[in-house]
Amino acid sequence: MAKYAMVIDLNTCVGCNACMAACAIENQTPAWDTEKWRTYVHDREIGAGNNVQRRFFPRLCNHCDNPPCMSVCPTGATYKTDEGFVLVDEDRCMGCQACAMACPYKARVNITYADVRQGEEFYGSDYRRTSPSVDKCSFCDHRVEQGLKPACVETCVGESRMFGDLHDPNDPVAQMVASGVAKPLMPHIGTKPNVYYIDDLKWKWRG
Amino acid sequence: MEANITYETQQFWTWWFAIYLYAGGLGAAILAVTFLTDMYLKPHRNLVLWGAGSGVVLLSLGSAMLFWHLLDHMAAIHIFNPLALFNQSTAWIAWGTQFILWMMVWGVLYAIPYARVTPLLQRTPVIKTILNWPIVVKLGDIEEHHRKFFGWLAIVNGTGVAVYTGLLLQSFPAVALWANPGVPLLFTVSAFSTAMAFLLLLMYTILHEAEDDHIRVLYERTDLVLISAELVIIFSFFFYLQRGPESAMKSWEILFTDMGWLIGFIGFGLIVPFFLELKGVIKGWTSHVPIIAASIFVLTGGYLLRHYFMYAGVYAYPW
Repeated sequence: MAKYAMVIDLNTCVGCNACMAACAIENQTPAWDTEKWRTYVHDREIGAGNNVQRRFFPRLCNHCDNPPCMSVCPTGATYKTDEGFVLVDEDRCMGCQACAMACPYKARVNITYADVRQGEEFYGSDYRRTSPSVDKCSFCDHRVEQGLKPACVETCVGESRMFGDLHDPNDPVAQMVASGVAKPLMPHIGTKPNVYYIDDLKWKWRG
Repeated sequence: MEANITYETQQFWTWWFAIYLYAGGLGAAILAVTFLTDMYLKPHRNLVLWGAGSGVVLLSLGSAMLFWHLLDHMAAIHIFNPLALFNQSTAWIAWGTQFILWMMVWGVLYAIPYARVTPLLQRTPVIKTILNWPIVVKLGDIEEHHRKFFGWLAIVNGTGVAVYTGLLLQSFPAVALWANPGVPLLFTVSAFSTAMAFLLLLMYTILHEAEDDHIRVLYERTDLVLISAELVIIFSFFFYLQRGPESAMKSWEILFTDMGWLIGFIGFGLIVPFFLELKGVIKGWTSHVPIIAASIFVLTGGYLLRHYFMYAGVYAYPW
C-alpha cells in the first residue's frame, strides 16, 4: 500500500502562483474569492536595508497521520484513506468549522451556499459540487488514482513541489524524507504531517 | 525553517460561538442545580419549572446560534443520530449535541408533574392542551414513580454539557490558550457560578419567598466558592500564558492588555462580586441590592470570559 507525501523545496519556489491557479481549476475552488485557496503561496521579504529578498512559502493541507481536523469532526465527514489522503465527504459535512479551528496549518476553507451558486455560474455544467462544506486539499486523489501527479505538482515550473510514495525506498520523495533533508512543519504538535519542506538555503548576508 | 512565524487569531468561531458556549453552560448548570435542590434540599415546584424552562430556552438559544452558522443546515441531520458517538467518539461536538438533546428531554420530563399542577400553565392555551395529552399524562406518571432516576439523567447530561464546552476548545491543539486542561475546568466552574448567579437573581426578584432563605444562603456560599476557584484558575492562566509557548504569550498580550478583560471580566465579573458575596456571607447585607448586583456582574462576566477566549486564541504559523 502506497503512502503518499509531498516535498516542497523552498529553494526553487519562484512564487509564480501557478500551483494555486492549477489547483483552483482542477478542483473547482472559489477562484473569485482571494481568501479561498486549497493551496496558497505566501510571499514575504526578509533582510534589511539593501539586503532585502523575496521568499515564498507554499502551504496546503498536510494530510497528517494524526489529523486533528478528523478527530474533531462530529459527523465523520473528514476521513483518512489507507493511502494517507485526508478527505472530506461533502454530503456529510455540515460546516460547523471545528476542523478549521483544529487545523494548525490553516488548510481549511469555507465553501458557502453563495460559493456553490457562484461555482455553477463560473464553472458551468462541469461544476461538480452540490453542497457547501469546509473544503481542503485532497492531494488530487482523483488524479493520483489514475497514476497522475497532483495538479500543483504537475504545473510547478521550478519543480519545487514533488510528490511520491514514502513506502517506496527508491522514490526520491521517500529518500529526501528519510535523509532528513525534508522536514515537516510543527512536528511538536503531534499531527505527523505528510508535507515536508526543504529549508531555504539561498539566503546569505551580503553586508 | 520556522524562524518566520505569523501570529493570527481566527475568524471562524467568534461572538456567536461565545454565546453558544455561554448559553449552553449556563442553561445546563441551572437545570442541574435546580433539580439537585428539588431532590435533596427542598421540593420546589417553581424553582424546577424555572430551572427546566431556563435550561431549555438557553440551550435552544445556544444551539440555534451554532445551527444558524452551519454551512450546510441539512447535513446537520448526521449529528442528531446518537450513533454519531460511536462513529466519532473523539469529536466533542458529537458528545455535546447528545448531551444537549437528552438534557432537554430529561429536563422536560422531570418538570411535567410540576407543570401539570401549575395553575398558570393550565390556563395557557397551547401548553394547557399539551399538558393534557394522554401521552404527557402517562409520562408524568412514570416520572413521578422514578423521580430521582430522571432527575439524575438530566443532571448528568447537564453537567456533561457544561464540561463539554471546555473540552471542545481543548481539542484544538495549535492554540495554547485552548489546548490545556485548565479550559474545561474553568468553563465548568464558570458555568455553575453563572447558574448560581442566575438563580440568586431569580430568587431575590421573581421567586422571592421568605421560607427559601436557606436555599439563597447556600447558593450565595456556593457561588462564593466557585468565584474563588475561578479566580485561582485565572491566576494560574496568567502565569501559564505569560511564560508559555509563543502562541500563549500572544494570547497573554491580547487578554492582559485589554480593559474589557481586565476590568470587565476579572474586575467586575469576578473580584467585585467576590467581595459583595463575601460580605453577604460573613456579615450579611441589609438590602438585596448588593447580591442582585453581584449576580448581574457574574452573569455578564461569564459571557465576557467566553467572548475573550474565542478572540484571544492565537495560531502560530511557520510562514
